[in-house]
Amino acid sequence: MARAKVEQHPATGAALVVGVGLSIAFLLFIAFLNVVKSGNLLSEANLLYAALVFYAGAGALYLGFGVTGTESYIKFASLATWAGLIANSGAVAHRWYEAGHPPFASLYEMLLSFVWTLAALTLIAEKKYGVKVIGTVTMPVAIVGVILMQLLRSEVRPLVPALQSTWLHVHVTLAMLAYAACALSFALAMMFLIQDKVKTELFLMATSIFTVGTYAAILTRFERWGGFNVVAWDAENKSEVFLSRGVRLFVTIPDLGWLMLLVFCAVAAPLVLFLLARVRKDDGFLNLANRAVFISILLQTLALAFFLLRTRDGRYPSLDADGLYATNLAASPFILSALVGGIFANLLYLLLLWRRDDLERLLPDADALDRITYKTICIAFPLLTLMIAAGAFWANRAWGSYWNWDPKETWAAITWLVYAGYLHMRITRGWRGRRAAYFAILGFAVVMFTFFGVTYLLPGLHAYA
Amino acid sequence: MDLSFRKSSRKIWQTLSSIKTGVILIILCVIFSAAGTVILQRPMTDPEDMQRAYSPAMLRFLDATGLTDVFHARWFVALLILVSFSIVAASVERFPNSWRYFARPYKSPDETFRRALTTQSHIAVEDEEKGLGAAERALQKLGLGSERIVRTNSFSLFSERNRISEMAVYIVHASLLLIFLGGIVDALYGWRGFLMLTPGTASNQVEMNNGSSKALKFAIRCDDAGEETYADGSPKKWWSKLAVMDDGREVSKKEIVVNDPLTYQGVRFYQATFGRTGKLVSLALTATPANGKGPAQDISLGLNQIAALDPDTKVQLAEFIPDYVVQDGRVYARSNDVVNPAVHMIVTSVKNNSAVNVWLPEIPGIAENATSPYVFEAKDLKTGIFTGLQVSHEPGQWSVWGGVILMALGLTLVFYVTHVRIWVVPVSDGHGHSTLWVGGSANRNRDAFEIRFRQIVAEIEKELKPAAAAAMERQARAVAGTASIAGR
Repeated sequence: MARAKVEQHPATGAALVVGVGLSIAFLLFIAFLNVVKSGNLLSEANLLYAALVFYAGAGALYLGFGVTGTESYIKFASLATWAGLIANSGAVAHRWYEAGHPPFASLYEMLLSFVWTLAALTLIAEKKYGVKVIGTVTMPVAIVGVILMQLLRSEVRPLVPALQSTWLHVHVTLAMLAYAACALSFALAMMFLIQDKVKTELFLMATSIFTVGTYAAILTRFERWGGFNVVAWDAENKSEVFLSRGVRLFVTIPDLGWLMLLVFCAVAAPLVLFLLARVRKDDGFLNLANRAVFISILLQTLALAFFLLRTRDGRYPSLDADGLYATNLAASPFILSALVGGIFANLLYLLLLWRRDDLERLLPDADALDRITYKTICIAFPLLTLMIAAGAFWANRAWGSYWNWDPKETWAAITWLVYAGYLHMRITRGWRGRRAAYFAILGFAVVMFTFFGVTYLLPGLHAYA
Repeated sequence: MDLSFRKSSRKIWQTLSSIKTGVILIILCVIFSAAGTVILQRPMTDPEDMQRAYSPAMLRFLDATGLTDVFHARWFVALLILVSFSIVAASVERFPNSWRYFARPYKSPDETFRRALTTQSHIAVEDEEKGLGAAERALQKLGLGSERIVRTNSFSLFSERNRISEMAVYIVHASLLLIFLGGIVDALYGWRGFLMLTPGTASNQVEMNNGSSKALKFAIRCDDAGEETYADGSPKKWWSKLAVMDDGREVSKKEIVVNDPLTYQGVRFYQATFGRTGKLVSLALTATPANGKGPAQDISLGLNQIAALDPDTKVQLAEFIPDYVVQDGRVYARSNDVVNPAVHMIVTSVKNNSAVNVWLPEIPGIAENATSPYVFEAKDLKTGIFTGLQVSHEPGQWSVWGGVILMALGLTLVFYVTHVRIWVVPVSDGHGHSTLWVGGSANRNRDAFEIRFRQIVAEIEKELKPAAAAAMERQARAVAGTASIAGR
């Protein structure tokens, strides 16, 4: 099967750059408003905004490289990451000072630490391992993290008794380092697959499946007559509204469900076209699929925009209680991450599609990437082990038992087992190359579930973050 | 028949010790552990919630298969035991070879080995002795050191570092087994329970999770307990002053807080919760005569206590409700939390032969405060507090922590300590030309080792040069000398 050559789209490329540029300008404007409103230049919120702007700038520059192929964009992206890291460090220091303890006690604080570690490791990977484009994958993750942070409760909360322990700091520091190393290994594994000449169509399939899965998860909130269910938000207490212990109150935003359904079809289109191309052995469908990806990005952005707008304003009815309730972006961090994550994943695919040759030139060769991925996991695995051990020791001191089969503990153990599996396969069975890369990607998926999924889907003792 | 038994037991052993089995067992552990986090588990979930979440048929199925308490189900424990066996079998199967490799270093490589080794180099030397000497010095300079291995006509060099690294993987697996052992011991012999004390009481009865009661050989007495809160009311610190009474004697004392337990005879007492019993300890009031004649009195009442306000009037504290709610003209207690306290007092007057029901706060329709000869104002309310202690005995935890430390050591050896071997063997090709065969091997981080090997070879060559230069110098001097002799 001849490999289809997709021609550049200079017109649409420019549209992308303009779009990204406008978003950054918008963000800067909001930041300016915040400074004016609070009268305080170096507040934590402003520093975080600055970090967001810089990370977004770095991400945009990587995309700009994707569109225009100008290599200097990468250098500027690196500088932007540096700037973001400095702002982020400022935010961390500010938070630490205000709270009187290192930022580890809530999801907001953990994300702050995680994003900082991610940016730091990105810069280390660029300098030490010479993988200059690793930011293309890690920066979007950092951006999603910072956006999430903007929505979560950010007041400094004093620590409840169980969290007042040095072991907390040890455990969470280890967790942040371990998860950041895993994120890095994911990025490297993806890059290995690029260098290993995995066909671009397969990346299309993977991105498409990921986006379809994401929207399928979003569509679980679809209400029969086209409404979309979100959790209600109590603006006064800055918390979700609960009907009773552990049971959240949902409100239905009318018509948003139809939009999500439409976008679901749009993101499913590339997958369908890909399958058609395979079945009919016709590359013309691949071209259509790639155009469909571009269209789906536009529609996904539309879905995001409407979601943002509808959740900010308006009070909505609920099927479970009388009256109208407000909601807030902070009540739906998962949905927001999913929407943004989907857009980013597809943008990265387009970057690969349009600039694959340049990427292949800029990245180290496949063998080197394979080894670097392995080395990164060799760092991540001991950190994971120590994190679990520190957590167990702390649990023993706080709750009298070092292992409770709590969902978070259990999934941390599962993560550990998956990476142990990777090491076993590599060391004893000599698994290299693609199989190892897929394993590393699986490992990171489990890490993400342990970090996010367990918190939002399976509550338990670990209710702090 | 004996042969077939041996054959089948050999087969079983091979299956158990194979990596494939290990991987399959790990995958099964993962699947069932994940199921245990997704399916509601009985010990932690209210039975009502369980019935709400699953249909009766589904619930029967889940209960029957043990999926509602996965982590304590027999088959899950059996799975973990099987994993331990597989680790043991895999280690035992591979250990003899590794031990041979570890205990008997391969110091003198033969020709086949030399031909086959990937990392090798040849250095031409004019003299075996000098060449080996140079190599020794080079290895010394690079911090590697070497020993001379005697061969038939000459000797060769052997240098190695970190041989322990070959045993690293066994250390890691042994540590896993230690952890499992600790877990099993705790599952069999450990226990956890709860003990609630109010200040001034002592107890040796621990309430276990299954409802039964366990009597300790010693008692715990609570002398005092307290709570500090932040400005918004969330708890900042819970503390209890505890004393251990063994045989009636006070043996040890400690003020415990969350994260800092009291330990005695292997039993640990953790500050788990703190609360108010909702029972009244004392209420301080001021009573002022309703008709304005007479001074205000300060009194303090406990439950059912009577105080005489004057020769004629008495007041009794009849009821204390920590969290009151009025329904159908009656006052009920909604909870034990001191949220909405109400006191019911009965003021009796001998002269009027009356009893008035006074309520603070004045509950409309129920309180008769207007007809009371005294007006009461509450000044201070002291309610009972209790401290909740988590009690646990975990004899196996030392094995677990030992295993953790051993695993840290093992992982360090696995990832960061490389077993490096260098050989230098003089080879002569029979025509009087000698070469030094230099070979190297490392059990991990081979790319870094390649670089190191190049360094070693370069260093050896550097060491050889002065010898060559010295030789040339001697030659030059000899020539000059001959010339001078010839010249004389």
